[in-house]
Amino acid sequence: MEGSKGAKLTAKTIKWISPLFQAAAFLLALSFTTLILLAVGAPPGQAYLNILKGAFGNTNSIANVLVVWAPLLLTTVGVLITFSAGLWNIGVEGQVTLGAIFTTWVLRLLQESALPPWLIILLAMLAGMLGGALWAALAGALKTFGGVNEIFGGLGLNFVATALTLWLIFGPWKRPGTGSMSGTLPFPETLWLPTLSGLRLSPWALGLALLAVVVVYLMLRGTRFGLRLKAVGKNMRAAYLLGVPTWQHMMASFLLCGLLAGLAGALQVTAVYHRLIPSISSGYGFLGLLVAMLVNYQAVWAVPVALFFAALNIGSIQLPIVLRLDSSLAGVLQGLLVLSVLLVEGARQQIMKRLRLSDESAPVEERP
Amino acid sequence: MRKNIFRLALLLMAFAMLLTACKPAATETTTGSGTAATEAAATEAAATESAATEAQPEEFVFGMLLVGPYNDRGWSQAHYEAGLYVEENLPGARMIYLDRVNPADRPGTTPAQLAEELVAQGARLIIFNSDDMKDSSTEFAQAHPDIFVIMASGDQVWAEGNAYIPMDNMVNIMGRMEYGKMIAGCAAALTTQTGQIGYLGPLINDETRRLAASAYLGARYCWSEYLGNDPAALQFKVTWIGFWFNIPGVTADPTQVADDFFNTGYDVVISGIDTTEALTEASRLRAAGEQVWAIPYDFIGACEGADAVCLGVPYFNWGPAYLATIQSAINGTWTSSFQWNGPDWADINNLDTSAVGFVPGPALSPDASALLNQFIGELAGGLNLWTGPLNLQDGTPYLADGEIATDQQIWYLPQLLEGMQGQSVSGE
Amino acid sequence: MDVALYDIHKTFGRVHANVGITLSVPAGTIQGILGENGAGKSTLMKVLSGFIRADRGEIRLDGRPVVIHSPSDAIRHGIGMLHQDPLDFPPMRVIDNFILGRKGGLLPGRAAAKRDFRALADQFGFSLDPDAYVDTLTVGERQQLEILRLLWLGARVLIFDEPTTGISAAQKEKLFAALRLLAEQGRTVLFVSHKLEDVEGLCHKIAVLRQGYLVGDVRPPYKTAQLVEMMFGKSVAMGERQPAKPGPVALRLESLSVEDDRLKVRDVSLTVHKGEVIGLAGMEGSGQGLFMRAICGLVRPTGGRVWVGDQDLTGRSYLAHKRHGVAFLPASRLEEGLVPGLNLTEHFVLAEERRSFFVDWNAGRSLARQRILDFNIRGAPETPVESLSGGNQQRALLALLRVPLDLLLLEHPTRGLDIESTIYIWSKLKERCAQGMAVLFISSDLEEILQYSDRVLVFFSGRVTPPLEAADLTTDRLGELIGGKGWPEKGGQG
Repeated sequence: MEGSKGAKLTAKTIKWISPLFQAAAFLLALSFTTLILLAVGAPPGQAYLNILKGAFGNTNSIANVLVVWAPLLLTTVGVLITFSAGLWNIGVEGQVTLGAIFTTWVLRLLQESALPPWLIILLAMLAGMLGGALWAALAGALKTFGGVNEIFGGLGLNFVATALTLWLIFGPWKRPGTGSMSGTLPFPETLWLPTLSGLRLSPWALGLALLAVVVVYLMLRGTRFGLRLKAVGKNMRAAYLLGVPTWQHMMASFLLCGLLAGLAGALQVTAVYHRLIPSISSGYGFLGLLVAMLVNYQAVWAVPVALFFAALNIGSIQLPIVLRLDSSLAGVLQGLLVLSVLLVEGARQQIMKRLRLSDESAPVEERP
Repeated sequence: MRKNIFRLALLLMAFAMLLTACKPAATETTTGSGTAATEAAATEAAATESAATEAQPEEFVFGMLLVGPYNDRGWSQAHYEAGLYVEENLPGARMIYLDRVNPADRPGTTPAQLAEELVAQGARLIIFNSDDMKDSSTEFAQAHPDIFVIMASGDQVWAEGNAYIPMDNMVNIMGRMEYGKMIAGCAAALTTQTGQIGYLGPLINDETRRLAASAYLGARYCWSEYLGNDPAALQFKVTWIGFWFNIPGVTADPTQVADDFFNTGYDVVISGIDTTEALTEASRLRAAGEQVWAIPYDFIGACEGADAVCLGVPYFNWGPAYLATIQSAINGTWTSSFQWNGPDWADINNLDTSAVGFVPGPALSPDASALLNQFIGELAGGLNLWTGPLNLQDGTPYLADGEIATDQQIWYLPQLLEGMQGQSVSGE
Repeated sequence: MDVALYDIHKTFGRVHANVGITLSVPAGTIQGILGENGAGKSTLMKVLSGFIRADRGEIRLDGRPVVIHSPSDAIRHGIGMLHQDPLDFPPMRVIDNFILGRKGGLLPGRAAAKRDFRALADQFGFSLDPDAYVDTLTVGERQQLEILRLLWLGARVLIFDEPTTGISAAQKEKLFAALRLLAEQGRTVLFVSHKLEDVEGLCHKIAVLRQGYLVGDVRPPYKTAQLVEMMFGKSVAMGERQPAKPGPVALRLESLSVEDDRLKVRDVSLTVHKGEVIGLAGMEGSGQGLFMRAICGLVRPTGGRVWVGDQDLTGRSYLAHKRHGVAFLPASRLEEGLVPGLNLTEHFVLAEERRSFFVDWNAGRSLARQRILDFNIRGAPETPVESLSGGNQQRALLALLRVPLDLLLLEHPTRGLDIESTIYIWSKLKERCAQGMAVLFISSDLEEILQYSDRVLVFFSGRVTPPLEAADLTTDRLGELIGGKGWPEKGGQG
């Protein structure tokens, strides 16, 4: 019972302790990775330095990191909404894909039209958000009306989304001549979301993503809707008895998450790939789930952690190029990070449980 | 507590999916990659050492972008090894590479962007190794006219092609795998007891169609000319799984497809996909006493471990073409071209000269082996199976009697051929 | 076995939960441990049963000092504890649960275990089916199972933590008989409770704890007033029953029928007036819970009509009922009533009827502060509800109710609460009844039913008595009805 010494378990202590645990998890992952690097005879210092340089070495690489960061932030805060409602929206991956498909669809429909390009892009992105939301609504409907667990429903819908993408690329939306793994025919440059000159980064994408973070943060923190979502997520029965229409809130969280995931997909098409490609979602959905778990469901922390993942992703490109290290190392680091967070989280819960256990048997002395 | 365990399980599940489902292009998992990395580093060190002792020619750095892991025992490894071959045979040449170049493994990146990373490390020539990178290679070549670009399997700079984009700094390279597939088809026809050959196809496009058709042409020729059978009695069926490898829930399961073939009387399955399910299933059934065979694809060492059922493997050998093309970039004799390189008929398995080869497998009977060599000899002597009369699958005339197909007609084959079963065009 | 505790100290942070407690319990004694919530009873018992370790002090069994590291250690020494929520594993069969925790081979001899189980059960007059699933058992039956299990594991000291909470009168009688038998067999029984009536009727001696101190170890004859004063340090007056004057109709049931897969409640007609309190008595699971949930729309009635005021709400959702001034407070406060993880302020904001999009947290906090004061909740606006004590959770639930309310349905409103909280809760309820709110409540505490109800419905396996005037009822009569005796002949099930 050492853990209980001198500590009363207040909300404040919990809030204060949690980041410490997360930092511990990060250090644990780093030491694991260092051990692995040493084991394969690679210089860890140089490896980390290269990752760092590759991610932040110059304007160009920073811009590339931000290109990854924007959609990742969108999916992360998207799943934060569903997490708040106690839902595991594994289907977010498919929702990104459908966002991309709907965007591509509208761009294809309107690219020959006389509408001004900005309007076409705007409509296409709105369509993308709609597409993501529709796909999420499907998962939500399966959950609330069909009684299908959102994890299984989401997984199924992810598969369907991938299959749909491949079918479109090699079927109805095939480029002239050979259907190619390279995707549909690229859209003319007028339909690209404008980028900063000489860089691949679209300020629009960045702006939208940051806006989404702010909106979701405020929504979860400062609105009645956000509070109700949390109540539903933490105790659906009690929330209902307290007067919260539960299934409507679950559905709404799906829709909002789908909207943001769809926007991420729309950005993939309009700002990054300029066409539909087989793996258009880039795994941002799953990565977003991961980040959301790592930040313990707090929107503010999503900003640095998503940046870390984006930087790791871009920085690790240097490993095979410069050090001839196996490129799966970045994945290993990511995996280790998740595992350490799991480990540390397990330890944290054990400790908290003990604290709480001992706390319960003590009189509560908190007179206001 | 139970809730926690559930949550833990979910976390692990999500993690597992990250490693697998969301990385469709990664055919190899990370097992053993650590040692592979050290080996790679070691060979690298050895290579630089030996280079240092020689006469110090001017260094020429070429970069390679591989769609899959460099050690995937398939498409990407064949390219990677070709790069090592160039380093070995061209003094001063040094390769830098980046593997897993695909949006699933490297979210938010484009091959063009990654090529720039290689240029930043000194590369003056970039090899894009996959169809996935077609648009990116065009974008890159146009944005960097001073950098040489090799786009493997593409057709952008084919003046007679359908999608010609003139770019002085680009070369397209592809092997004439049609011959490899014909030989594979012949080996299958010479071996089948039931007269039924299955073809395990990836997704449907011009390339995969022409390869399946080539296998059919080879099979039909050997079936009727060498065995004296009625060509109409040969059943040749193509089943497409929908992608280059199995994606659970998205593609048809290749194991299941191979199984279905074997269970419905198709005793030889030719694989057109990147992975070896056909071989594995054949081995399994053979162990259960069934008379079945399979032919893998892509990688020279694919037969390994399946001696009882492997009839041989058609493979790509990119080394000679890369060597010559990089040499031309160094010499200043570079010209933009579309290279569709055939085998060296003197010895199709000469790794210094032949772009495409076929290694006969241990399961091929001596009789069949002799006939197969005869077939290769005939091909070397000028036999062209892409000669009319040939109709497309729906009966549309494709080649009139005696007409010889042009490269364009073969490259852009619009349907399967008459006599083949299976889907010709994707989408229902 | 003789149990002796010497100078036991235990602190949690600033809180001194046990201060130098010394107590000796000879074998064959039923020792009462009395005290209000948070007096340190549970801590002391957890020290004895190995759940927590004392900071200082010594435990002696039959005169020999022992060190107890864990509950399994404790059972090795012959000490077993039954908790308020019996620690079982619901999706199991009774016999598997029974075998659980037994050391030895991987394959416990089920047949032998079953024989032992039957023998033990017979000895105590428990009728438990070894092949039934644990989750079909009532709280009382689970308790019986737990007793048998501990005995089979060799317990010679048995600790009971609030065992009479949530069980029926009949089950309580059975339990007491079993405890007396245990004592006669020479086993030591420690009986933790805050119910005066229970300890007075059962225990050979009573140790009273207050704020961590042992304030006395008294022997019969007991004086209730003295015990109360020892518990609270002051005397507490029990509320008097004040009959309500019938007002306009708050709730009207016309032949309401409802059923689940175990029970059918048929054709209940009832008119409840504003300000009236209706008690629903019966053994746990006799249909009263189902009936109550049908009234507020949580369970769909299979027949009849539910009128709230002049609105026909039959078949409408709970939320529709809520809009019409109905509220339901479940027995499991943390499972169904409150949202663990949210603090008091968040709860008050959540329950507010305001429709504004943004939350004004400052207003929320002052609202919370006000309610905390009004309802005498021991907690701060930032306190997460799960760290409140049971009584404070119940106060919080009451504080969350909307004003005005026409009809309040409560399941076990004072289960697990000490006398002070119980009296407080009822005073609050009565206050609101005076303003016109009608109350229906379920309780297994007969005294509570009789003391606070105007009329009573008794449930027995789905059958329901007509409304009985509480003034005409006695504990004995009520006890009989609950046990299925003395029902008017009506033929079959209701």
